[in-house]
Amino acid sequence: MTMFHFFNCAILTFGPHAVYYSATPLSEYDTLGTSVKAALVYLGTALVKLVCLATFLQVSENDGFDPYQELLKALIGFIDVAGLYFALTQLTHRNISQNHKFQAVGLGWAFADSVLHRLAPLWMGARGLEFTWEYILQGLEANANLVLSISLAALASLIWLRKNKPKTLIPIIYACAGIVATMPSITSYLRRGLGWYFPKVVGFELFTSLVMAFISWQLFSACQRPSA
Amino acid sequence: MAFSKNSGAGHRGLQESMYSVISLVFILVACVELCDAAAAIDVYRLIEYDISGSAFGSRFAALNHHAASLHFPSGADLSRTVLIIPLRELNITFVRVFNSGNGGNKQVHEKEKLKNLLAELERLLIHANLPYPVYFAFENDEIDTVLTDIKKNDAIGQPATATTGGYKLVIPTPEPKKVASPTIANIQGWLSGLKADGDTNQLPTIAIVASYDTFGAAPALSVGSDSNGSGIVALLEIARLFSLLYSNPKTRGKYNLLFGLTSGGPYNYNGTQKWLRSFDQRLRESIDYAICLNSIGSWDNELWIHVSKPPENAYIKQIFEGFSNVAEELDIKVGLKHKKINISNPRVAWEHEQFSRLRVTAATLSEIPVAPELLESTGGLFDSRQFVNETVITRGVKLVAESLARHIYGHQGKNVQIFADGGSLAVNPAYVQSWLDLLSRTPRVAPFLSKNDPFVMALKKELADHTDEVNLQHDILEGMFTFYDSTSAILNIYQVASVTFDLLSLLALGSYLIVLFCFLVITTRGLDDLISLFRRPPSRKVKTA
Repeated sequence: MTMFHFFNCAILTFGPHAVYYSATPLSEYDTLGTSVKAALVYLGTALVKLVCLATFLQVSENDGFDPYQELLKALIGFIDVAGLYFALTQLTHRNISQNHKFQAVGLGWAFADSVLHRLAPLWMGARGLEFTWEYILQGLEANANLVLSISLAALASLIWLRKNKPKTLIPIIYACAGIVATMPSITSYLRRGLGWYFPKVVGFELFTSLVMAFISWQLFSACQRPSA
Repeated sequence: MAFSKNSGAGHRGLQESMYSVISLVFILVACVELCDAAAAIDVYRLIEYDISGSAFGSRFAALNHHAASLHFPSGADLSRTVLIIPLRELNITFVRVFNSGNGGNKQVHEKEKLKNLLAELERLLIHANLPYPVYFAFENDEIDTVLTDIKKNDAIGQPATATTGGYKLVIPTPEPKKVASPTIANIQGWLSGLKADGDTNQLPTIAIVASYDTFGAAPALSVGSDSNGSGIVALLEIARLFSLLYSNPKTRGKYNLLFGLTSGGPYNYNGTQKWLRSFDQRLRESIDYAICLNSIGSWDNELWIHVSKPPENAYIKQIFEGFSNVAEELDIKVGLKHKKINISNPRVAWEHEQFSRLRVTAATLSEIPVAPELLESTGGLFDSRQFVNETVITRGVKLVAESLARHIYGHQGKNVQIFADGGSLAVNPAYVQSWLDLLSRTPRVAPFLSKNDPFVMALKKELADHTDEVNLQHDILEGMFTFYDSTSAILNIYQVASVTFDLLSLLALGSYLIVLFCFLVITTRGLDDLISLFRRPPSRKVKTA
């Protein structure tokens, strides 16, 4: 029964990534290598972030929301964006269209994120006899994270890879990219500063991820029209 | 208790064979005001023992079942469940349904209801053979919340089983094993009397004895404050007072004093017998008389002296008169009870009977008017500190000490107060209280005391402080009793989800992933691709044909 629960939570957390890969044309064009490279880049960025956090951040005793600490964490979070930039632009990809490139990078990024942050707690916790909703909520969070990563990758690719963009849309693109990039800070503020419970936070994440995905889809297709 | 359908008068044999198939279990929560998992709670197991091969007590220890309360819906299958019963909700007839058939609740005074309930419950459990684990626990907030939850679930007719969720109680202990060669340790202290120069005869001896071990339904909780904590405390205090008197040769009496703390009391005073048998014949003959102390902690104003020699016997008369005189002065009523001993009957109800069997005059001072049955009044669950009164013990100590002193110093009949209150030889209530408190925190079931148990060593040291010479005698508890270990454990309470929940979530997740797959295929590759996924086999056939 408990391994059963672990299995359920595992497919909730990691299933969508596999489904995304196989359902979209990514599998036809064999972009697995890109995703793997993106995952490795994420690993590198995570290590750099860890070092920066350890150096600059102070450990607070209470679980409250300290604005300066959170600001610092947000700034360090932008290292994420730098890593994404590196993955998108610097890595040599085979000749795949930009359309698929950002999807592959986003997928690899989200998969690495899920594995690093959610696999260990899942293995340790979900196998016990005691039942909590936490791991299911974590899985939903992983889903939201996947959508957010792909939209971030889309916006990032718009910013750095596409040269001819309609002038009016550029600020919107940057604004959306900024919002998506600071999502972690926003959720941590909600959880600690406003004291929202985990289910509420996950719901918020899912909702915003869908909204952001829709917006970035619209932006992407809008930018694609002139060149099409 | 196992809830078989054919309960009631039930043939025990049939029930027992059913028990071997059913593994029902229940936990009692004692509502005495003491003191990874959703909760981890200390629990204490019902004792498991054999008498000459007949099994008694709870025969199992490990537990891994769902929980239910007393409000389970009728007709529920209670095999593979754990019943959690708070003591105040326990109806003793419920427990009795599966044991003998006496009915009838007694009308008792409100205050004593809990004590009597516990006593009766204990008696039932000790003499029953239960093929499932039974544990006792103290009530606390965690168990309270769990229990209210379980009651709510039971009330709406959803008892916890594998198919519906609920609480699961797990005690992961190995199966209980026999305690190999349980030891009993007798402690004796010797105060030498004043031997005049040139006197070659052995001085007479007076023995004061109390048994210090207990037996109860939950051996990890059997502290026996009254039986026989009060006796031990009284003995130690008497030893202290006489050691003060004997320390000065001018006040040393012409009697030796022998103090004995014996073990094996509940088991027909097995330890006392071994202790006496180990004596030199001369020593045994030199014992004038022995006073055994048993349960003198909760009497009102009446004590009993139990003897086995007929009351007309000169020695008995002398002892009784001595006690009565002092008792009158102290405003205590003392009665004499005579119980003949039957040599062929192995049952030894009082400690003095072991002395009498070896032809030593002895008597037992006790508040209990009638000889207790086997394993009765041995300090069980209900015998806790709150039911013992230290002032009463102090009075008892005064009674015994004065009577002994008047006999030793030859002041019988004279109104002399040797241990007067306020003097340097007054009975020390603080001493009595502190030892009583310590005893009320120490479970003392003999088979579970190790050979060098710290408490036994403490008693030995205390007696050594008050006497000239102390000896510790180890022996094996023989006879008809066999004990099994595993007296306490930790209970883990988990909140588990049902199997249906897991299946439903698997179904939901599977459909979610399938829907996601279809959605992505349609949006990125188009609807035709989705349909073509299902049409591939026929198209291949067309190609080859």
